This record gives sequence, C-alpha cells and structure tokens, in this order.
Amino acid sequence: MKLVLTIAWRNILRHRGKSLVIGVILFLGALLMTVGNGVISGMAAGIEKNIVNGFMGDIVLISEKQKSENILLDFMGQAIEPITTYKKIKPVLQNQDIVARHLPVGKNLTLVLKEDEATPGGAFLLGVDFAAYQKMFPDNFRIIEGRWPRPGERGLLVPTFAREEMANYMNLWVIPENGTVIKEHMKKETLEHIDALTVSSNVVMMGMASGMNSTSDIRFPVTGIVKYNALSTIFGHFCIADIDSYRECLGYFTAADKAVAVPKEEQKLLNLEGTDLDSLFGVDPLIVSNTRAPGGAAVPGGAAIINNAIVSGSSVTATPLGVENGIYNLVLVKLKDGVPYKTALGRLNRALAEAQTGVRAITWSKASGPIGSMALIIRGALFVFVTLLFCVAVIIIVNTLTMAALERTSELGMMRAIGARKSFIGGMFLGETAILSSIFGGAGIVAGIAAVKLIPLFKITSTNDMVQILYGGDIFHPLLGTSDVLITLMQLVFVTIIAAVYPMHVAGSITPLDAITRD
Amino acid sequence: MNIIEIKGLKKDYPLGNTVVKALRGIDIAVEEGEFMSIVGPSGSGKTTLLNVIGCIDFATEGSVKVGDREITVLNDRQITDIRLNKIGFIFQTFNLIPVLNVIENVEFPLLLMKNQSRTEIRRRADRLIGEVGLTEFAEHRPAELSGGQRQRVAIARALVTNPDIVLADEPTANLDSVTGAAILELMKEMNRIEKTTFVFSTHDANVLKYARRIVKIKDGLLSDN
Repeated sequence: MKLVLTIAWRNILRHRGKSLVIGVILFLGALLMTVGNGVISGMAAGIEKNIVNGFMGDIVLISEKQKSENILLDFMGQAIEPITTYKKIKPVLQNQDIVARHLPVGKNLTLVLKEDEATPGGAFLLGVDFAAYQKMFPDNFRIIEGRWPRPGERGLLVPTFAREEMANYMNLWVIPENGTVIKEHMKKETLEHIDALTVSSNVVMMGMASGMNSTSDIRFPVTGIVKYNALSTIFGHFCIADIDSYRECLGYFTAADKAVAVPKEEQKLLNLEGTDLDSLFGVDPLIVSNTRAPGGAAVPGGAAIINNAIVSGSSVTATPLGVENGIYNLVLVKLKDGVPYKTALGRLNRALAEAQTGVRAITWSKASGPIGSMALIIRGALFVFVTLLFCVAVIIIVNTLTMAALERTSELGMMRAIGARKSFIGGMFLGETAILSSIFGGAGIVAGIAAVKLIPLFKITSTNDMVQILYGGDIFHPLLGTSDVLITLMQLVFVTIIAAVYPMHVAGSITPLDAITRD
Repeated sequence: MNIIEIKGLKKDYPLGNTVVKALRGIDIAVEEGEFMSIVGPSGSGKTTLLNVIGCIDFATEGSVKVGDREITVLNDRQITDIRLNKIGFIFQTFNLIPVLNVIENVEFPLLLMKNQSRTEIRRRADRLIGEVGLTEFAEHRPAELSGGQRQRVAIARALVTNPDIVLADEPTANLDSVTGAAILELMKEMNRIEKTTFVFSTHDANVLKYARRIVKIKDGLLSDN
C-alpha cells in the first residue's frame, strides 16, 4: 500500500498540470456542494424557525374530515374543515406536559370585494383572539400603520403584501381608521398608478368556506397595517381578524346572530306586503355592518348551538355560549423545547382520539405543504445540479487519467513485465485519484465550511421576498450539520471511485507487450 | 539441468488480412547458468523468442517450459508470478520507473514479492547497487543518470529477486560501444557471481565475443546453435 501511494503521489507531482486540472474540479465540486448544502440547511432551518415560531407552531390540529393536509397556502383546494370541539381539545392540550402553548384559529380563503370593481381579489383570513395571538407569536410582525385592535374590538390587521395585492389588482389602498396615505410605504409599481387608487379604511370580505353558503359580505374596519419580519411573501397573504368577525364572514353564524342580525334587505322582504316595491332598491347598503358585539356560539350552515344542542333555523333566539364554543379551523400548538415531533404526534393523536375530539395532529411541515417541502425540493434541485457537475467532473477526470494511463504505457508495461499485477497498477490510479480527492476535495470541503461559518458574520440581509425564501428569513444564515458534511464526503468518495474505475481498467489492461510494441 | 525447454514453438501475428509468421518452429534448450546470446538480423524473431520465454508474449503453437512449468497453459496471474519470481528483465530502452530513485527501483520487485522484511530488502538492494557500481547514485532518479547507468540499475533490479533467468533484449543497443562493453562485462560478472542464467539478444557482432553460447536465428527459425 505504501509503495502504491508513494508512486501515486510522485506521479501526481510529476504530472502537475493534469493533477491541477483534476484537483481544481474536485475542489470546486466539493466547495459548491458544501456551501450549497449549507445554504439549503440554513434555508430549511430559517423556514422552520419562521413558520414554527412566527406563524404555525410545531404541530397543527386539523379536523379528521380534512382531506388535504396542506392547510397553509392552498388556493385551489378545498376549504379548511371546521373544528367544533375546541372545548374538548383544550383540556387535552392543557394536560400534555409536552405542550408549551396553543392557539385556536379560524383560517380560510376570502374574496375581497370592492363596490366599483367587478373582479374580486382574494386573501386568506385568520380569525383569532388578538391577545392570545400576541402571546403565541409575539414578534412575527410589527405594526407599521395604525394599532392592534383593543380587547373586544372588531378589527382587521392587513399585511403589507396583501395591501399591495389589493392595490395592484383592485386599485384599493387600505389604510387604518383615522390613518393617512403614507407614500413611503408604497412600492414603486403602486406609486405609478396612485391616482387610480381608492383609499379605504375598511375591507369587504366574503368567506369561501365550502358548503357554508356565506351570504354576508362583512365590512372589516382596518385597525392596522402589519409588516411580517420574514417571509412576507408567504405570511403576507393572511389578513388577521377577530374570531367573531371571521366566523360571520365564513358563515359560521351563531343563534344569537340569526336572531338579531337579519339583514335590512331581508327585513324589507319580510315586510313587503303593502309596501312600495321601489323600497327594495333603497339606498341602504347591502353589506352588513360589522358592529355586533363579540361572543356567541357558531356552527356551520346557519345552524345554531343552544346549550350545546344544534338547532336549525334562523329565527331562533339563543343565549351566547362564549367564544370557545364556536367554530375554529385549526389549533396551532407550540411544543416545549426538545420534544421530538414523532413523540409529540403519537401522544397527541392518542389523547385527542381518546377524548373524541374529531381532530388529528400533523407537523408544521405537512401542514405548510409545498412551503414546508421547499427546502427538500431545493435540496433535490441542488443535488441534481451537483450530480451533473460531478458527472462532468467524472468525465474530465476519467479522460485525463485515461490519457495519463495511455501516456505511461511503457512505464506500466515495464512494471507488469517485472511482476506487478493488474491490481497493483489499478491501485496506483485509484491512489492518485484518492490523493487528489483527499487534498483538493478536502480543501473544497474545508473552504466550504469556512465560507458557511463566515457568511453569517457579514449579516447579509434582504428585503426581497423571493430572496428571503432562499435565506429562510430576512438574514442569510447558512448552516452546516455533520450530516451535510458527511453527504459531501460520500459524494466525493463516490466520484473518486467512479472516476478511477475506467482508467484503472485501461491501465490494468496494458501488457508488457504493449509497452514493447509502443517502444 | 535445462532451465528453458522449447519445442515446436510457433508464433503468428495477424497483420490485416495476412499472418506474419514470426517464429516457425523453434526447438531449443537452455541449461542453468548459461550466458547465451541470440543473434540475428532485425525481424528475424529474436525479440519474439525472448518475449515468449519471458512470458511477455504467448506461443501460437508448441511447448515452452521455464523451470519445470509449462507456461503456455498458465493464466495471467500465474504468468505474472512467474515473471516476478523466476525471471529478470533488462529492456532496451524503457527500464526504470521514473518517479523512483535508483535504490527504490531496485527494491521494487522485492516489494512486490512481499516475502522479505524491509531491512532485508534494503540490504539486498544496497548489495546489488554496490555490485553494479552505483552506490553513490543510489538516491538519484533515472532522469539524473546516463544510459549506461540506467542499464546498470536495470541489471541490479533484474538480479535482485534471485531469478532463475535474466532476459535482456538488446541491452546495449542504445549505448556507445565503451558503455555497451562495460554492461556486457557486468552481466558476465553477475552470471559468474550469482550463477544466474543470462539470455540476451543482439544484432551486434562485437557483442558475440562475450557470449559463451550463441544461437543464430533467421526468418523465425534457428539457423545455427
């Protein structure tokens, strides 16, 4: 072995030019793979951190009836199934020592309407208890205009991304109540058509929960404009409303609502007898004003819960049962530090099933669908890219080493003539490739690790939404785990062996007679 | 005792649509300790004969025994082992491993054999380098040696394994007459000291005076023995 490596090493030095070509290829391949893995791992960690800590928690409880587990951004899919058993879910979660905090939320797609605009816009709507939301996600966004809704107050927080979307597609520029237009907050493309914008401090939304037949277009007073600290492109699709308004918007009516909130046009219809038909086309707005007091239980389809019994019909008068009796779509769960997801899922699902809650627990990555898989997808793309790079590297190395073998026919043939076996000759070439891989590939990995460690020190930030996705947040923070380095090492070993196989075969096939004939 | 026995050896080379008959039926026996020269003009078949004896080329027909083994029936691994353990080679031009120095080149076959200690290998290599007069060049690479010095190294390397036979294909062809004579003297001296059988080819009449036995070959047949 020592003899093989000695000859291999001296041949590397003897053929410096070729060795350098192979070495540079191996260096670049290893460097790119290491840095690429670092970027992807950083992105994965960033996305996880931002989604888990800022938007979704570790675990999401969804209805057992929910078909698709992608409940984050599913524009074309079905609505999120309602959860009507939060009263049962809450004690289950409170009894789990692995759960740090939880938050029930309503979440569905809404159409954003504008009276003079034929084509509606779209936005996701989260219905939350604002105080509980702030405790669950204390620093995921900041309010750049307006304020948080006060306790018990109806209101809507509109993200900057959603506001820009409304401006671009509906010519609607949303400002908080008593706010003013701040041009500095407008993007360049919005400023270009500022004269066409209608400024409003409220937004009309219509819930899109399937099977609910929402009839109420709810006018939400905008209390604040929020800017997500990271991944605004993803989270910025979500406007946040108080849970009562959300339920009304989605048609999750309470019995009390049915009794007290018959729309005026319906009241007119009820009083039609003896009335002038022209009164049907009065000036009163058709949109329900969102000023009802909070509270009251809600169930889908206009049914009402009265003392936990569901009664159909809209003329029932009921006593409000409290916000927790109402409908949610999701329960977001934050786990205590260090609890493995597998353990958490097992325990939670068992407990939730035993309590007959009708919900199941899934991880944040499943719940966030393609967003959660983005790191995996990009890692796959990087892997394909690096594999292609390595394929090119293998071809170049194979070609260079094969040429080297043929150039050394006399030398190799002479070695064979004096007793060197094919395996010895092959071993020399494998040794040469292995030494080059160790030195240059190793240097590439070390340089990659150094680059990954140094990059965060520069605190590279981006406000560009797409770049933020690649960063996994607002700061570029690549990470390298032991597994990433091991994967790169394995790829390097694989490349070394593959690149050496054919030259080894060629060199081993050289006979003493070839040497004599060539001589 | 015969160290080489050849009977009815034929060697054909395909050349396009024709066949070149390099050896056309050779019968020869070489005794242990001989210092024999094969002479003949270019293309007569002397190199082919040496190559077949040295297990570098294969017979088309006939029997070739080296020691007591019929080499025409052996596989590549067995042939390689015979080359390593039984035969030493001195080639005309390509002889040494360029990346190894003199002593490493001489040690090379012993390191392949893997049956001696590092100390024993170094001791034997040192002795042979001394015998060929290159002690002061032991650390030199082949590129730093003259043609004659390289052939001396090749002789030392050919002898280092104590082979039964040393085959030398025109060992003086690329050397000036003085150096060539010195090499042949050295081979003869080694033959005397080590009792190793030497078979070498040449087409130089001046070389013949060193041989104790001369075999003439012409058109693939022995013409005089």
